[in-house]
Amino acid sequence: MEEGIVTNIQHFSLEDGPGIRTVIFFKGCPFRCKWCANPETQKFHPELGWSRGSCLQCGSCVKKLYKYNISLKNEEVNWGDKTGRAGSIPSQEEVDLACPTKSLHIIGKKYKVSELIDILIEQKPFFDETGGLTLSGGEPLAQPNFAEALLKKAKGNGIRTAIETTSYAQWDVVENIASHIDYYMTDIKVMDSGLHEKWTGLPNQKLLSNIERLLGEFPKVHFRIRTPVIPGVNDNPEAIIAIGKFLKPFENRGELEWELLKYHRLGVPKYEALHREYPMGLVELSQDKFNELKSVASFVFENVI
Amino acid sequence: MAEKILSPQEKRIEANKGQVIFSKGSRVQRIYDSFQGSRSSVDVQRARYFTESFKTTEGQSLVLRWAKALYHVAENIEVIINDDELLVGRVGGQGKYGLIYPELDGCFLQSFAEQAANRVESPFEISDEDIRIIQKEIAPYWDGKTYYEDLARSLPEDVLKITYDPVDTFTSRFIANETSSMRSALQWVHDFGKGIDEGFESIKAEAQEKLSQLNPLDPHDSIDKAEFYEAVIIISDAIILWAQRYSDEARRLADSTKDEKRRQELLEISRIAAKVPRYPAESFYEAMQSQWFIQLFSRLEQKTGATISNGRMDQYLYPYYKKDIEAGKITKDFVKELFQCMWLGMAQYQDLYVSPAGVKFNEGYAHWEAVTVGGVDKNGNDAVNDLTYILLENKREFPLNYPDLAARVHVGSSQEYLEEVATTISDGAGFPKLLNDEEIIPLLLAKGADIASARDYAVSGCTEVRMPNLDTFTTPCAFLNLGAVMELTLRNGRMAKYGDELLTIETGNPADFASYEDFERAFIDQEKFVLKQTFRQQYIANRTRPKHFASPLGSALHALCMENGLDLHSEHIPGGIDLGYFDFIGLASVADSLAAIKKNVYEDKTLNWQQVLSAIDADYEGYEDVRQRLLHSPAYGNNDPYVDEIAKLIDRVGVEFAKENAKYLGVNIDLRYVSQSANVPFGKVVGALPNGRRAGTALSDGSSASQGADINGPTAVLLSNFNTKNTEYINRASRLLNVKLSPSTVAGRDGNAKIIALIRAWCKLKLWHLQFNIINRETLLKAQKNPEQYRSLLVRVAGYSAYFVELSPDLQEDIIQRTEHELSA
Repeated sequence: MEEGIVTNIQHFSLEDGPGIRTVIFFKGCPFRCKWCANPETQKFHPELGWSRGSCLQCGSCVKKLYKYNISLKNEEVNWGDKTGRAGSIPSQEEVDLACPTKSLHIIGKKYKVSELIDILIEQKPFFDETGGLTLSGGEPLAQPNFAEALLKKAKGNGIRTAIETTSYAQWDVVENIASHIDYYMTDIKVMDSGLHEKWTGLPNQKLLSNIERLLGEFPKVHFRIRTPVIPGVNDNPEAIIAIGKFLKPFENRGELEWELLKYHRLGVPKYEALHREYPMGLVELSQDKFNELKSVASFVFENVI
Repeated sequence: MAEKILSPQEKRIEANKGQVIFSKGSRVQRIYDSFQGSRSSVDVQRARYFTESFKTTEGQSLVLRWAKALYHVAENIEVIINDDELLVGRVGGQGKYGLIYPELDGCFLQSFAEQAANRVESPFEISDEDIRIIQKEIAPYWDGKTYYEDLARSLPEDVLKITYDPVDTFTSRFIANETSSMRSALQWVHDFGKGIDEGFESIKAEAQEKLSQLNPLDPHDSIDKAEFYEAVIIISDAIILWAQRYSDEARRLADSTKDEKRRQELLEISRIAAKVPRYPAESFYEAMQSQWFIQLFSRLEQKTGATISNGRMDQYLYPYYKKDIEAGKITKDFVKELFQCMWLGMAQYQDLYVSPAGVKFNEGYAHWEAVTVGGVDKNGNDAVNDLTYILLENKREFPLNYPDLAARVHVGSSQEYLEEVATTISDGAGFPKLLNDEEIIPLLLAKGADIASARDYAVSGCTEVRMPNLDTFTTPCAFLNLGAVMELTLRNGRMAKYGDELLTIETGNPADFASYEDFERAFIDQEKFVLKQTFRQQYIANRTRPKHFASPLGSALHALCMENGLDLHSEHIPGGIDLGYFDFIGLASVADSLAAIKKNVYEDKTLNWQQVLSAIDADYEGYEDVRQRLLHSPAYGNNDPYVDEIAKLIDRVGVEFAKENAKYLGVNIDLRYVSQSANVPFGKVVGALPNGRRAGTALSDGSSASQGADINGPTAVLLSNFNTKNTEYINRASRLLNVKLSPSTVAGRDGNAKIIALIRAWCKLKLWHLQFNIINRETLLKAQKNPEQYRSLLVRVAGYSAYFVELSPDLQEDIIQRTEHELSA
């Protein structure tokens, strides 16, 4: 049976596809978007995390997990090895026994497809006529066999499927996954590939061509294109218009909308928990500017939300 | 910055700086303005005239005395018609008023009269003259005669000590708490349809007919039953007389008013009050006035828990509505206006509790005269009609808390109906509450109801239901403090608050328990012991009440009472179904406690008993690490079998006990979880618990999770609820379940779809009750100050998830300022 690594599972999600959904956040992503709000989903291996707010500074972790080089200095719990090397961090069980508050915790857990299906079946009464499963992440396409097996099995159990993805993978992978999806949400961040690479770590040609083919070849799938509006990246009319023009040819295909998402800083505490720098610093995006860009978008493309 | 999302009701209130507002200059606004500023005051009239009459009827049968006393009240109580009123009748003076019922708890009246205006919880204004009347005329007569005193005297010592302080029986101990002394009867629903359709002349004729058929040689007939039917005749005359006095007053006012429009209204009121409830109503307006008179007269008759609920208004009023609307005699606006006049009348009545325990149980002035809509009809078809929709619409438009609207839901409920229900939930403050036909009807059938009566149930009070011509059990029931049971287990039959006194049985010192199973067994032994005492207490209450209460009006409207010539408060009425309950308070608190001990002491061995017990003794002062360990153990409300299995066991002990022992009481005494606000006073007597809860704080409420512990969202809360029911038994009653939602979750068409999906899932899971609490700005501010209680608040943004309390203060502020719509429970 296929298994994969998952960051967390969230039930009663209302913003990740239609209806009431269970979102499975995959762990691991090929991108490093500087504004990423889920940095804990970026790496493919389990990691340690530490929440300052609930920590008692009791030092129990330092004592009980001494093998792993955990330190408590300046009211901060830290650890030496962040490489993901096997055995470099304690197990879930060891952490649970050491930390009374779950302030120190392991991020990332392996699941078998069958375990996830059991969890989804319990939630089925809530999906009703519209809701279902959403794969998110991280990047679901980066664990293609796991994602496919999960989607197939979910479909077989009468559960509708959705995905939040970058669409960054070989076409046959994207095509294969899309064939099991009812509701497909994908990002187009910025059309300029150089800028794309600078801010996300990878160029955009591959994902753009995949999206183009998807829109043409999967007429029955509902698509939602998402553009996070990020200060300094695409918070100007030109960048937004460029995306609109890319989408324009598909305006009449139906089952397609374009959603602009306002930049937010809600990921900041997660960077602290991982002892990473937040790459965006203190930038903000005003509501006025966001609204303005949204109206620009609606000039170019009909179905903007 | 995006605008803060408020529910339409909140917007209306905010726009008017907290002042509730109706359409400007409207009749309802004027009525509202006439009382809204006034403080609640005590009205002594009912108690005074009731007592005057009782002084003259000593030695007669109770039901006759009651009818005569109410006749005396009807003759003398002030008749007031205010400007603008379309429905007339009130049972107290001007403004907001509460009544006292000395036959119930008159032993507290001397001190109440002095303290009412200054007490912290729910104060009431009282005039010096009324203090004198209470202290000189009312209280002395009832001294030693009240139900409360009789009950306290009747309890055996071993039951008494977990009920009241044996030295001062005026003080409750909140372990196994009886509620029969703070209200005269269980929440009730009359067959209003009978009163409206037939009228009291017809009921009187029915009683006369019954009288004539009695066997003069059988004293049971010629004395007991005869007295009962005579009482029905007197009570019918009383309500007719009282209504006629309103008719006369309306005529008098009509003659003196210069306003022609009002004169016409008053003449119409005068005509109607002379007609109903004496004769059958023939129009919608008459039916409404008849209902209002009956409802009000019930308040004079007795204090019931949450008073008398209104029953299935969309059913019994529908024929009148249909006839008049089709004939073009009324408009929908007029129908709504009449309803609003009724709700305004209800808003002026304040629930007044005299005993200290009653006040603690029911903080505030609220009362729940549930109006039931929707569900199936007697034939099992969907019962929704135009009036259902009008009542839902009315709830959205009417910004006060009245009425307490309850919507019945079944698997066949239409999408259109649920759309209206969902819209009402998001517009209002979470109302209507929902009751599930799929759970309730089969349970009523299994307990012996016929199918038509079961399908025709009406919501009564907060979550209970009644079949108005079939239910016959009126004794208020006990609340059992599971938190105390846990403490009794930890302290070998004692509680910190009550010193060294052995309250229950000794089940051993926890430190000596070799295994978790030993600890669990000790808890169950304590649970069973307190259950045993609770049932004994209930038995005595059942036996004592008929000596103290009668309900000639309630009986006149009940088919079985009329058929058998028995008062509604009789211990048993042939053909009736007796549905009582016992309420478990703090299920999640104790299930979580058991799970925390199992995990930390016996499995992971991260703690030992000595540490836990010392931490509890110190109320966790200096033991924060121990507390956190316990707090972060598996918790009920997360669909986690580890703890749900434990909660299910606690439930099973309760339902099995009920199955085996209720037969000795001759009534169904079933397990329910509806603490309402009682989890607060019950929590006050309980020391720290092993789930990390501190001493004196609230226990978990109803069948909800411990505060903040349900960190997996509402679907998990519903599933835990489902997982912990022992459905192979029928000895269960209602479970109250609150689910938090944010305004935006519920906003718009898309929001409706999500609420409906949640409702349909709840319906399929066959859970009894569901009510949504809409999270507002205030909730978020509280969460900032007290994060532990709000661990379950999730921030939901597309493709992102985190808990609100984990955000830094500035990001929290951002969320509070910007949008509530990024949150859901």
